[in-house]
Amino acid sequence: MNDLLKDLYQEIILDHGQDPRNFGECENHNKSAKGHNPLCGDKVYVTLLVDQDDVIKDIKFSGEGCAISIASASLMTEKLKNKSLDEANKIFNDFTNLVKGSTDELRLLTEEDSLYALKGVEAFPMRVKCATMAWHTYKSATNE
Amino acid sequence: MSKALLNSNIKDDFAIFEKKILNKDLIYFDTAASAQKPKIVINEINDFYNNHYSNVSRGVHTLSVESTFKYEDSRKKVKDFINAKSDNEIIFTKSATESINLIAQTFCERYMKQGDEVILSIMEHHSNLVPWYFLREKYGVVLKFAMIDEEGKIDLDHFSSLINNKTKIASITHLSNVFGTTTNKEIVKICREKEIFIMFDGCQAAAHNKIDVQDLDCDFYVFSGHKTYGPSGIGVLYGKENILNDLPPYQGGGGMISEVTLDSVSFADLPAKYEAGTPPLVEAYGLGIAIDYMNSIGIENIMQHEQELSNCALEKMKELEFVEIYGNGNKKSSIISFNLNHIHAHEVASFLDVEGIALRAGHHCCQPLMRHLKVNATSRISFGVYNDIKEIEVFIEALNKCKDFFKK
Repeated sequence: MNDLLKDLYQEIILDHGQDPRNFGECENHNKSAKGHNPLCGDKVYVTLLVDQDDVIKDIKFSGEGCAISIASASLMTEKLKNKSLDEANKIFNDFTNLVKGSTDELRLLTEEDSLYALKGVEAFPMRVKCATMAWHTYKSATNE
Repeated sequence: MSKALLNSNIKDDFAIFEKKILNKDLIYFDTAASAQKPKIVINEINDFYNNHYSNVSRGVHTLSVESTFKYEDSRKKVKDFINAKSDNEIIFTKSATESINLIAQTFCERYMKQGDEVILSIMEHHSNLVPWYFLREKYGVVLKFAMIDEEGKIDLDHFSSLINNKTKIASITHLSNVFGTTTNKEIVKICREKEIFIMFDGCQAAAHNKIDVQDLDCDFYVFSGHKTYGPSGIGVLYGKENILNDLPPYQGGGGMISEVTLDSVSFADLPAKYEAGTPPLVEAYGLGIAIDYMNSIGIENIMQHEQELSNCALEKMKELEFVEIYGNGNKKSSIISFNLNHIHAHEVASFLDVEGIALRAGHHCCQPLMRHLKVNATSRISFGVYNDIKEIEVFIEALNKCKDFFKK
């Protein structure tokens, strides 16, 4: 098996792609946004419950997409839950840098993070949008 | 092996096949998105810039004359390629998309009012939908959509039932970029009987079929150069001369005028009337060379070759129980859309990419059709002159590997 593919489709990605966590809609959410990838038609809907201290108490997503986009959304919800919006935005920046293969130093993400599994996307520039779709949707939900 | 197949040396005509994709031989199955360019097209474009280049249609000096000659010579080649009656019926645009926008805008301005109707189909490419949506929003034009049958062809009975005394024009794909099916030319007869205009989107058809606009008897026909082995940035609009004469100009600018004063303007005759500004002249020339190239192989031979590949691929894909093919027709000229059970088209495309196989994954600019098929995306393979049977075997093996890799 080609190493690039192995990196792209690590076990954790296939697992989250087929069995996404936090799939659905948060009860009582106070922030939400829809996102889609106009290049392929994939869609995502992200809902959040953010408390008065700007902490993400709950985050879920639903939608249709490829393994990369679903796994990325699933891992995102796991990572961002119970984070402050400030931290979450830093993770957003780290993550987008990671998958684009940017040389910028990561601030909060480390190789131990399960999200790091998506680093393999950098070798497939056309798939970066798959990996970041849910993230940009999260961003637009919190920027309302 | 069938003698309908072209000589495998054809790959040598294309420099791109010297390139390795991650150390694998390139298998290019994405000609429906854009064809690869023969060396002769690239070399001739170089030669044009190096030795003959200037602006067209205005200068008196040698280079301008040479450029103009080459540009107009290409128009003749296009005219012969689709068997138009006259050079005046061939308008060079930047793309088939621009050609469709041109007709949608000028036709509406000349012949339509609020409440008048246009017939499209549910399987049109976005480029043959959105220009008409603009008319719906701006002028209250009503759009109706013909359904398709099981094979993925226009349902002519349904098409016919949509026509009433408010219908002015139909604009329909000549060869579906998703199903590979060709629209029955009976559709023109229906339009003639009901006295409405008809335009064909020939982007796919022009690369794979012999086009004869006089035999088709359509009013307008559009296609793009880059799908017929020519460069990007060049499109063609064919229109019957009397109709193009009757339609208003599209864009204003240099080249399309007869006389300009501070108070008034009169317009140039066809085809200049629709070619405002410096045209994509080198691109047009490149298209002419691409047409020469196709003719040197023979359009009939290209059709047979691609049909043979299509039949072979279809037969082998049908044997794979995990593959779903869209449109159950058996005649798919060079285009097959499919999905693997439970595997998103993107995964298929990335997996096959590292095997060196280039194919398209996504909605193919046909989102309404994808909704109709109840899929988000499909994978699509499409063939050109440079493909061969061996590549289909590699492809089938890769599909098997892909299925195993993503096994739940």
